[in-house]
Amino acid sequence: MTILQTRNLKKIYGAGENAVHALAGVNLQVEKGEFVAVVGTSGSGKSTLLHMLGGLDRPTNGTVTVDGKDIFSLKDEELTIFRRRKIGFVFQNYNLVPVLNVYENIVLPIQLDGNSPDAAYVESIIETLGLKSKLQNLPNNLSGGQQQRVAIARALAAKPAIILADEPTGNLDSKTSQDVLGLLKITSQKFVQTIVMITHNEEIAQLADRIVRIEDGLIVAR
Amino acid sequence: MNVANKKYIRQLSMKSMKAARTRNLIAILAIALTALLFTSLFTVLLSINHSVQQANFRQTGGWAHGTFKYLTHEQFDEIKTDPLINQYGLRRFVGTPDGVPFNKSHVEIGYSDAMQAHWMYCNPGEGRLPAEGTNEAATDTRVLELLGIEPVLGNKFTMTFDVDGIEITETFVLSGWWKYDEAIVANHVLIPHSRAQAIFDQVGIGSGIGKDGMTGSWNMDVMLGSSLHIEQDLNEILTNYGYQNESRSLGDNYIQIGVNWGYTGSQLADNIDPITVIAIIGLLLIIVFTGYLIIYNVFQISVSNDIRFYGLLKTIGTTGRQLRRIIRQQALVLSIIGIPLGLLTGYWIGIKLTPVILSRLNGVVEDAVSASPLIFIGSALFALFTVMISCRRPGRMAARVSPIEAVRYSEGTAYNKTIRKAQSGASLPGMAWANLGRNRSKTAITVASLSLAVLLLNMTVTFTNGFDMDKYLANVVSDFIVADSSYFQTGNFWGGDRALSEEVLSSLESQSGVEAGGRVYGKSSPVEEFVTEDYYRALYGKWNDKEALDRAVTFTEKNEEGLLAERVQLYGMERYVLDKLRVLQGDLSKLHEPGGRYVAAVYSDDDYGNAKMDSHWAKLGDTVTLRYVEKYEYYDPKSGKILDPDNIPDDQPYRHRAKNYQDIDYQVAALIIIPHSLSYRYYGTDEFIMNDQRFIQDSGTSNIMYYACDVSDERTGDMEAFLYDLTNKQMPQLDYESKSTYAAEFDSFRNMFLMLGGVLSFIIGLVGVLNFLNAILTGIITRRRELAMLQSIGMTGKQLKAMLTWEGLYYALGAVAVSLLLSIAAGPLLSNVLASMFWFFTYRFTVLPILSVAPIFTVLGIVVPLTVYRVVSKRSVVERLRETE
Ligand SMILES: Nc1ncnc2c1ncn2[C@@H]1O[C@H](COP(=O)(O)OP(=O)(O)O)[C@@H](O)[C@H]1O
Ligand SMILES: [Mg+2]
Repeated sequence: MTILQTRNLKKIYGAGENAVHALAGVNLQVEKGEFVAVVGTSGSGKSTLLHMLGGLDRPTNGTVTVDGKDIFSLKDEELTIFRRRKIGFVFQNYNLVPVLNVYENIVLPIQLDGNSPDAAYVESIIETLGLKSKLQNLPNNLSGGQQQRVAIARALAAKPAIILADEPTGNLDSKTSQDVLGLLKITSQKFVQTIVMITHNEEIAQLADRIVRIEDGLIVAR
Repeated sequence: MNVANKKYIRQLSMKSMKAARTRNLIAILAIALTALLFTSLFTVLLSINHSVQQANFRQTGGWAHGTFKYLTHEQFDEIKTDPLINQYGLRRFVGTPDGVPFNKSHVEIGYSDAMQAHWMYCNPGEGRLPAEGTNEAATDTRVLELLGIEPVLGNKFTMTFDVDGIEITETFVLSGWWKYDEAIVANHVLIPHSRAQAIFDQVGIGSGIGKDGMTGSWNMDVMLGSSLHIEQDLNEILTNYGYQNESRSLGDNYIQIGVNWGYTGSQLADNIDPITVIAIIGLLLIIVFTGYLIIYNVFQISVSNDIRFYGLLKTIGTTGRQLRRIIRQQALVLSIIGIPLGLLTGYWIGIKLTPVILSRLNGVVEDAVSASPLIFIGSALFALFTVMISCRRPGRMAARVSPIEAVRYSEGTAYNKTIRKAQSGASLPGMAWANLGRNRSKTAITVASLSLAVLLLNMTVTFTNGFDMDKYLANVVSDFIVADSSYFQTGNFWGGDRALSEEVLSSLESQSGVEAGGRVYGKSSPVEEFVTEDYYRALYGKWNDKEALDRAVTFTEKNEEGLLAERVQLYGMERYVLDKLRVLQGDLSKLHEPGGRYVAAVYSDDDYGNAKMDSHWAKLGDTVTLRYVEKYEYYDPKSGKILDPDNIPDDQPYRHRAKNYQDIDYQVAALIIIPHSLSYRYYGTDEFIMNDQRFIQDSGTSNIMYYACDVSDERTGDMEAFLYDLTNKQMPQLDYESKSTYAAEFDSFRNMFLMLGGVLSFIIGLVGVLNFLNAILTGIITRRRELAMLQSIGMTGKQLKAMLTWEGLYYALGAVAVSLLLSIAAGPLLSNVLASMFWFFTYRFTVLPILSVAPIFTVLGIVVPLTVYRVVSKRSVVERLRETE
């Protein structure tokens, strides 16, 4: 079952002489439960692609369909609501809310949706990611690896259709990177979670079910 | 630190400053507002001082520092070169006209040089001073009006005047005139020196001095280097030439001097009133505090936002001292822009406020706004001082930063909190609340700054609300009082020559609407009582030392029992006025009877209406002997020789005693307190009241001091109009007071405070709002990425705005809550202090101003964050996420 599909996705920054074709017509398809790694050199358009997939920014051309829905047909507010229900983000620099503790950060997207969290499910995520003892801590006194695990937990908590991760291990040392990636892989399997992960590290990409290569805004090989 | 190093620091400081545009703007505004507050305060203060001084000068007749009086020509020429004298002016007095139409005015004819004329306010608005060798003269519009001469240059006028006892009639040609100023006591007719000398020759004075010791003499007005020690300087000048000012009897080298008390008087007035001093210091402190709250906050926020930058500077070897210097330099540069801005606007506001206050000060000219450089120097220094103390702590904070911590620092880690207990998850208000906790000092100071204005406003309103009209009018017991204008003027003593005429009275008494009224007869001939030596000593002991007191006791006239004679003031009152008195003991019914010989003794009370039982010696039932003196005789206490009353030497001590008199005994039927508005209105001697017939019969005089009456409500307006017309057009020497003028006076007094407090609260409110704006602005700008991230994980724009609005509301409503609590807590204290300072104050608790400010603050709390966010959110989420710190 296809959960994510792009058609001729283009993104042009600027205009005229200065125009940057960050995406030059991307066609991508991701199946449910798949763990896809997107690799490419710096500036090749990986982040731009991820932003489009998550509906953070609108493309110049083309469509993105998530769970059968053409997301750019939605208005801004609707898109935000769709995003918090269907998409979980994990960023390179964790992006946790500094004034909220670990637990509050994890359940924040669910609460923003006006729902109360599925306690058992959140519990099992916390357990899986090994955050049980840190729930009341504020992000600033967690290590980078711990913070990224909180970010992953947060992305998972709303049971999204897809998790989009932009270089989730970019700020971590290689040992911690291995741990975090391992957890990502496990959760992908355990919770049947679709994951699209960006990386420029070939070694890390090897963990994925499939590798997509991007160059100058175009997918080059499967 | 070497020079190159300093230069590098300055460059760094300027560079980092350029990066903080918004911060600079807000800091400049804050500094400007602080300077503005100082400037308006100083402008108002110095303007009041200035105009009080001006008023004094008008009363003294000029603004020269001092005068050497009654000099000869030679003495004049000798003294004028003294180096202590900066400028001098000459005046030679010629004479005064006393016949009709000048019988009521003080007009002087004389020669003044241009300098002296200028110092006496004789500045021809039209024409010029008289030219030498002509028959010209210059004068004011009042003299012309009395003469019935149109103020047209070239008009001729003739005056008859007394020159050293000789009557002279002269005709002059008008060469110039100036507007009459009623505040100046004397009116001048200035003639050229040649003409003055001709008149002196004509009456036989020549170049000498007249018999009166004044006419023809040379008077020198001088300006010295400073007004601080005029008397000392004048005496020093005299000593330089071998003259003295001790006593005429010491020799011919005596020269009389005059010191313009306008200078000393106004300085003294400022120094002695402790309430004013406390109020001024209080205001200065409030302004420093207001300025501190915002300037400190702006710098503190800016330093904590730039902490990584300072950490970086430290990593590469900048010292803490250098970092402090960077902050200080930035503050200085911002002050250079902000302070002049504040000085100008503050001066403008001060100029606008001054007349409001001046109109409340009696007899003070209203156009007297000070432009003293002191205003600007003082305000600039105070503002700079505020800026410097405000950026000290932020400077230390930058200096203390550890390079390692700085890298990890983000707003919210400033305090060592590692755990947050909440388990239920975060709500929007909860998140907003947590956000305020990130920089607690910023939150606290912003709230304090907002509260300060609200608190001040509430205090102003509480204060003016407490002005109790009933208390204030408690002493105003009649609807109208009519009398000669001198009766109402402070500093003027009513005398029998200023009585109301029967004609005026009958027209007053026949006015329709008068429900009840009565006349009061006042003293016109000397009356004495006899008191014990102890009482006498108690009475005068306050002002005299032991020696002077002993001398007074020895020489004061005594009766057979050895009691001392002491002047008294008598009232003869008609029934209506008697009934307005406050009886302490006894009753007034005996005074109502026409025949009996009864008096009421007048006791005094304090501002709060408490009778002072030691303010009179007479007790209920006492017999009082009053001595009505027809004639005194004067004698030399040493030799006992009787002196000629018309020729008493003014430098010798002399005494007087009753020669022809009549003693009458009265019984004290009541002890009473007289409302101030019905009294003589100045502190005099002991007072007794009798009824009108008794007074007329015993004193043999019937001079009416005032007429008081009550008028029916519907006729009050008519009466007011009638009296206004009477006292302004028909008989300008009369004046009146009405309950409604008191009420209006009271209202305008209250409104002045309301307006001043309102303006102050408003400006401090502006500072508070600016502080709030800065707090919200920096709060949103530094969290741009965080807010974008919240949106990326699914916070809608609406939710985000709701969260920010909650933050704004916490600030604004926090300020309301804080000021509400403080007002309630401080209420009792405030009430005691104010009630003891103002006798007409009744504390009435109110928080209405706070409650009415609440909606405004609510709107601000919502609008400010939304507007700021609107600006920030123009950039897309992705753009904001990509921003590197
Ligand atoms: N908001 C933007 N404005 C202008 N150019 C952008 C913007 N975002 C990305 N780009 C440009 O688009 C290209 C692709 O960027 P990005 O997707 O971030 O690459 P990657 O994540 O693969 O390093 C780059 O050349 C980048 O400079
Ligand atoms: Mg990227």
